[in-house]
Amino acid sequence: MSDATSSTIATGKPSGFPVVPAVEMRGIIKRFGSTVACDRVDLVVQRGEIHGLLGQNGAGKSTLMKVLTGLLTPDAGVISIDGVPRIVKDPHAASKLGIAMVHQHFSVIEALTVWENVVLGEKGRLDEAATIKSVRAISERYGLDVDPTAKIATLTAGQRQRVEIIKCLRRDPSIVILDEPTSVLTLAESEELFSTLRYVVRDENRAVVLISHKLDEILNATDQVCIMRSGLVVAQLETAATDARSLAREMVGREVSLRGEAVALGLIQEAEEIAVEAADAVATPAGDVALRIDDVTVKGPGGVRLLDHLDLEIRQGEILGLAGVEGNGQVTLANVLSSLTDVDSGTVEVAGRAVRAGKAGAMARAGVAVIPEDRHAAGCVLDMSVAENLVLDDLDRVSNGRLVSSSKIRENAIRLIQQFDIMCPSPDTPMRFLSGGNQQRVVLARQISRNPKVLVAAQPTHGLDVGAVEYMTEQLRRVADEGVAVLLISTELEEILALSDRIAVINEGRIMGTLDRQEADLDRIGLMMGGQEL
Amino acid sequence: MTVPDQVTQSEEIMPMLMGPKVGKTRAGNIAINVGLYIVAFAAAFLLVSILILATTTTSPWDVMHALYTGSVSGWAAIGLTLEQATPILIVAIGVVIANRAGTFTIGPQGQFLMGGLVAGFVMFKFGLPVPVALPLCLVGGAIGGAIWAGIAALLRYTRGVDVIISTLLLNFVALELVDFCLNKIFLLQENVPTSPKPPQSAQLTTGERLPRIGHLPGFSVTSGVLIAIALTVAVAFVLARTKWGFRVRMLGLNPTAAQAAGVSMALFGGGALILSGAFAGLAGGVWFAGIGLRLTPGFEGGLGGEGLLVALIARRSVIATVPIAIFFGMLHSGGGYLATTGVPTNIVDIIRGLVVLAAIMPPVILHVWDNRRSLRVARRSAQRAVAGADLVEVAA
Repeated sequence: MSDATSSTIATGKPSGFPVVPAVEMRGIIKRFGSTVACDRVDLVVQRGEIHGLLGQNGAGKSTLMKVLTGLLTPDAGVISIDGVPRIVKDPHAASKLGIAMVHQHFSVIEALTVWENVVLGEKGRLDEAATIKSVRAISERYGLDVDPTAKIATLTAGQRQRVEIIKCLRRDPSIVILDEPTSVLTLAESEELFSTLRYVVRDENRAVVLISHKLDEILNATDQVCIMRSGLVVAQLETAATDARSLAREMVGREVSLRGEAVALGLIQEAEEIAVEAADAVATPAGDVALRIDDVTVKGPGGVRLLDHLDLEIRQGEILGLAGVEGNGQVTLANVLSSLTDVDSGTVEVAGRAVRAGKAGAMARAGVAVIPEDRHAAGCVLDMSVAENLVLDDLDRVSNGRLVSSSKIRENAIRLIQQFDIMCPSPDTPMRFLSGGNQQRVVLARQISRNPKVLVAAQPTHGLDVGAVEYMTEQLRRVADEGVAVLLISTELEEILALSDRIAVINEGRIMGTLDRQEADLDRIGLMMGGQEL
Repeated sequence: MTVPDQVTQSEEIMPMLMGPKVGKTRAGNIAINVGLYIVAFAAAFLLVSILILATTTTSPWDVMHALYTGSVSGWAAIGLTLEQATPILIVAIGVVIANRAGTFTIGPQGQFLMGGLVAGFVMFKFGLPVPVALPLCLVGGAIGGAIWAGIAALLRYTRGVDVIISTLLLNFVALELVDFCLNKIFLLQENVPTSPKPPQSAQLTTGERLPRIGHLPGFSVTSGVLIAIALTVAVAFVLARTKWGFRVRMLGLNPTAAQAAGVSMALFGGGALILSGAFAGLAGGVWFAGIGLRLTPGFEGGLGGEGLLVALIARRSVIATVPIAIFFGMLHSGGGYLATTGVPTNIVDIIRGLVVLAAIMPPVILHVWDNRRSLRVARRSAQRAVAGADLVEVAA
């Protein structure tokens, strides 16, 4: 019955009649335990428009889209596709309905070629020639330049994303969802992507949902914008009729004035202005070199150079921002500095003394503290208590000889919980039950309380809300003022510009150049991120 | 060169088998949990009863009664139960250590055999006075098991060989090695005047055995029991209170964070594996010097595997291994008595298997339920909404 209705609507659409939206989500509720990720959310996306979904990390954007693509089942609410109410049971059902999503993190297989990745998951016989032809056709039509026979491992992050988009478009979806698509792209690549999207929307009458937390992206690329805040839709606006400031206000729920917030929201100009002032005011006295990375090369599987003769020097009391597009060796660098990865050649020196990379805990003992990008993987043990997580790498402080003293663990925990304002029911609460921001504080508290010489912060504000971002940036600044050398690894240029004394740019495992904050500008950094040496 | 990439299959399997991640600390959930266990064990009991009825001439009640009589009906039976539980318990606490470190081993069988074999050499070939030889045979057993596990550890941390595979295959090597030693006079074969000579070692004389506590027909048990109890207490303490125990736990729960915090996978993971081997080897030595008294081909007789199962049911708790090992001991002692009534003792193996299944199934079932329920709720609410939408359409 439903199908019959849909076909009448699709065929007999008189002009002037209200258009049936491609996607209509009404009253969507999704809870995770006691938190409500989506609270009676309504979203209407028309064909022929790019619909922005704006919100901070954790606002419920991704949850909503996962509901639409069948990855999550809603607790309540109804989804209509082209006017017909549907149950999107699983991703398979979603793809039958013409919904396709390009995920933030790639699901391509490195060992396979582009065309093999494109047909992956399709049924039936493999037809190499036909697939290559169709990949070429799509590449040309949308200006997504990529060689169908190339191995994924040889492609840059931007090219890999093109593969994902080709994969998505080949299934001819009527509704395309892009989840934070620019986090792995250079500025130039982002612009290309948006012109492709324009074409897809204008000339082919598809509907596009663009998930983002970057204001300028939303302003430049979308027609409509839906702003979410802590699970609620707080505003539905026409993009042309709004500006960065009011978007930011809706997103945060109040006037944005603080530097940390401006950074978090991507108000670049403002962040830049404040940062320049800050940099001038501080004018850090150059201390001794605390961390020297000299000619370090790390090879990955298949001999790919993850770090390629990388040199980096950080002095006491300065924040060195390492800018770069995601996937250019930042993770490897952080792993080396966390003793997780050994180097194939080169040396790492902390305060003038060489440290053996890859030896468990050697970096930590030498005075390198790391706030890892993936705190669940390397920063904490989810099934241990908060108190235990506060002493993971510093057991000696809470031990009598070989015995761990539970009372000392507790004392330490109570002190740090207070000092770092960690919200948790008790020190014995399992780490798993803390919010992301508080888990991050536990990691920060443990690392700073060890009085490190070097603090490496890898994407320290990833996935945090504005308040937590502010707190984190303040802490980094404070730690640097106390004489610790801080390495800030971030893909958010705004964050780097606002916090760093010096800025280095990494591309394919190499440092493209290092700039003082005063001489750094977006254009130069953008070029370097794209691989041009200065 | 990246370490975290080396997460093996066994470490991925671990949380599935071991991780008690069902409970959401709600009273209702606990009730469901308890209920599920009761249902699972009742189902196991029912299945066993049906099997007994279908395959034997006795009634399930008679079988249960025989098991009870043989295992706990009197002091002698209780002594026998504890004695049978001893090697199983020693193996199980070793396996718990390895599991805590995130290593899933299936090597206790081979390590038990190697432990018994080394103990045999110490007792029969070294010609030492008994007061020296007996302790040395236990230490030798532990070393034998440790070396056997050490091979797996070495392969794992130098060549990346999966521990499940290496420990499994080393079991077969140990079996053959024992066979070989028991077939050569110049090694361990007993030199009896018959021909052909049976493939077995000599028997320990009364004076050469581990001292016994108590006398039959009352409570009588090998002093190996004391070793098992002491080790259980010691391991529980070490794991709970020492820096080493803390680090091993950290390694098992999150190897990447552990590596960053200075807990080397090779050192602690390998160490825990070797220690578990030492325990299995020691169990072999205790069994030989206190219970078996003679080495025969495959003398391990499934005890290593049972220790593994006990650890599986106990999840990561040392203390929980004690009652479970005693239950397994009961199946041995009760099963022995059952055999005298003419019922095939295979029934006991089936009981053991079903009990293990009943003990490990509830968490799995809960997990599946949880997924189903959320899907069902979603579907219902969506259907309700769809029905409403239809009405709207009709009205329009």
